[in-house]
Amino acid sequence: MTEPRNPPAQQARRILVVEDDPHLAAGVVENLRAEGYAVESVADGRHALEWLAGGSCGLVVLDVMLPEIDGFTVCRTLRERGDNTPVLFLTARGDPADRVRGLEAGGDDYLAKPFHLRELLLRVRAILRRWDWYQSASEAEGAVLRFGGNEVDFRAFRARSWNGIAQELTEKEAMILKVLAERPGEIVSREDLLERVWGYDVFPSTRTVDNFILRLRKRFERDPANPRHFLTVWGVGYRFMSEDAT
Amino acid sequence: MKATRVFQLTALALVLVSTVEVGWWLLDQHRFAVDKVREMHQVYAQQVIAAQALLAAGTPADRVHALLPDVIVTNQHAALSPDVDRQLLAEEHRHIAQYAWEGSFFIIALAACIAVIARALRAEARVMQEQESFLALVSHQFKTPLASLQLSLETMAMRPLSPEHSRALIDRMLADLARMEGMVTQILESMRLERGRIELRKEPVDLGGAVARVVAGFEERAGKDRIVVSSDIEAGLQVLADPLALDVILRNLLENALAAVAPVGGGTIVFTGRRTRGEIELAVRDSGVGFRPGDAPRLFQKFSRLHPGGGGSHFGTGLGLYIVGRLMQLAGGRVSAQSEGVGQGATFVLAWPASETQQAASAGAGGVEPLARQPAGREHS
Repeated sequence: MTEPRNPPAQQARRILVVEDDPHLAAGVVENLRAEGYAVESVADGRHALEWLAGGSCGLVVLDVMLPEIDGFTVCRTLRERGDNTPVLFLTARGDPADRVRGLEAGGDDYLAKPFHLRELLLRVRAILRRWDWYQSASEAEGAVLRFGGNEVDFRAFRARSWNGIAQELTEKEAMILKVLAERPGEIVSREDLLERVWGYDVFPSTRTVDNFILRLRKRFERDPANPRHFLTVWGVGYRFMSEDAT
Repeated sequence: MKATRVFQLTALALVLVSTVEVGWWLLDQHRFAVDKVREMHQVYAQQVIAAQALLAAGTPADRVHALLPDVIVTNQHAALSPDVDRQLLAEEHRHIAQYAWEGSFFIIALAACIAVIARALRAEARVMQEQESFLALVSHQFKTPLASLQLSLETMAMRPLSPEHSRALIDRMLADLARMEGMVTQILESMRLERGRIELRKEPVDLGGAVARVVAGFEERAGKDRIVVSSDIEAGLQVLADPLALDVILRNLLENALAAVAPVGGGTIVFTGRRTRGEIELAVRDSGVGFRPGDAPRLFQKFSRLHPGGGGSHFGTGLGLYIVGRLMQLAGGRVSAQSEGVGQGATFVLAWPASETQQAASAGAGGVEPLARQPAGREHS
């Protein structure tokens, strides 16, 4: 695993468009530029990975059906490299299975072709806003969270759990933890977590949040079956306790 | 379709039940034959006991044998004749063999029915799967130009644009519409080819003339992408082909070559025609993106696209080369593709069987004839 890479603040408004259809690529690039973003464009997965190995941006708008290396593989490769740059998938396949596949590959959002221009711009803005929030919150309130012998570095997406084991956090795990840690002791609903971390309509069900909470418990709870930090509030959501809830 | 499937599945179930029935009948008949023989043995055993009783009562041996002919008497001891044992065994074997033959025949007939129905069901499932994947692929192919069209229209509706930008968007939309129209044409052509609804004529067509006509239609597009198209075809070289099908083949090959050359910023496409022993060959060589040699067989499959949408302003549907392959197959010819690798350009070779007169001309010229360069090789730039 290489050093984790996150979009630096000054690059947050730079967007890479990866689309093999020249007309569609031109249309997306023109509109994003008109919104004030600095936009670069490449036509295939190999060039996208090369570009991202050398440069950085705040968002990748990524077509799925690309020549040579498909969009899912590009996204997975980025995550394996430790690159947490947000990814918005554009694809002609809009069925739920494909949507979930894209998000499992590490994507942040998914837009099926043909799409509305306003929806594209809205989603781009929402992803960048979530990242802005995450980064500014990590800097303003301290990048390191300590609870129950665990230590989480939000900027590096790394943690050390109570038993001394080093943990690599995914972008979504870190964001969920951040949302919960912002309101210690308060109830945070599943819908709130979905909206803050993914956007309102990305996932088909709030069960996804439950799965992520289970993963956090496995990483940071001494006894995941009897959690003391990530508490379930039945029928509502979750409560984060930085001190042991006994 | 659904009713047919229900009927086939019911028939399959009935045949399977019948096969089980026949199997059970065979076993039952075998058991019956064995039981019958055992009963006969018991009857004969009773006769032996009766004979022994008669002997004990003082009846002479010859009298006993006359009364019970299947019993033989030796030294006042009655026993069943060995012939009867043999007859009973033979009878048992005869019955079992008869049932085995009859049963086997029925089982083979039923197995054949099962195989026929199962095959029909499998074929139907394959057709349905192909139809579904075809529809999925077709809808996928249409979604990208639709998305581009929608994006251009919404851009025009949402933003104040300069006249130049508006003009560019209109051109883009027209190109998207033309692309979709081309897709519809290609999809219809490929479907007709697949269903074998096309009957090709065979008449002598001047190859150089056919190539020149197709090339002329793409002159403007080639010029815009800085592509030089030239032809090098022996004057008077003819192929036995359907003129319309030949036009479709050449158009698709040229579109494929243009789409391959445009992404590398321009280059050349060369048509060369020659007469070989028994064949007329037309090669289309381009200096475009090329492909990995191992990908050559995939090129002529439906919806196969090895390079990014043609780059520039041109697009592939993944059907063009499939149509070329099928039409050449129907015409009794062949098509092949070669490339040294990605970035090395590609050559597509069409070959038609030469007519007898053409073969005679070829033989007269001494086998493979060197290409006679056209006096004024047509060039488009």
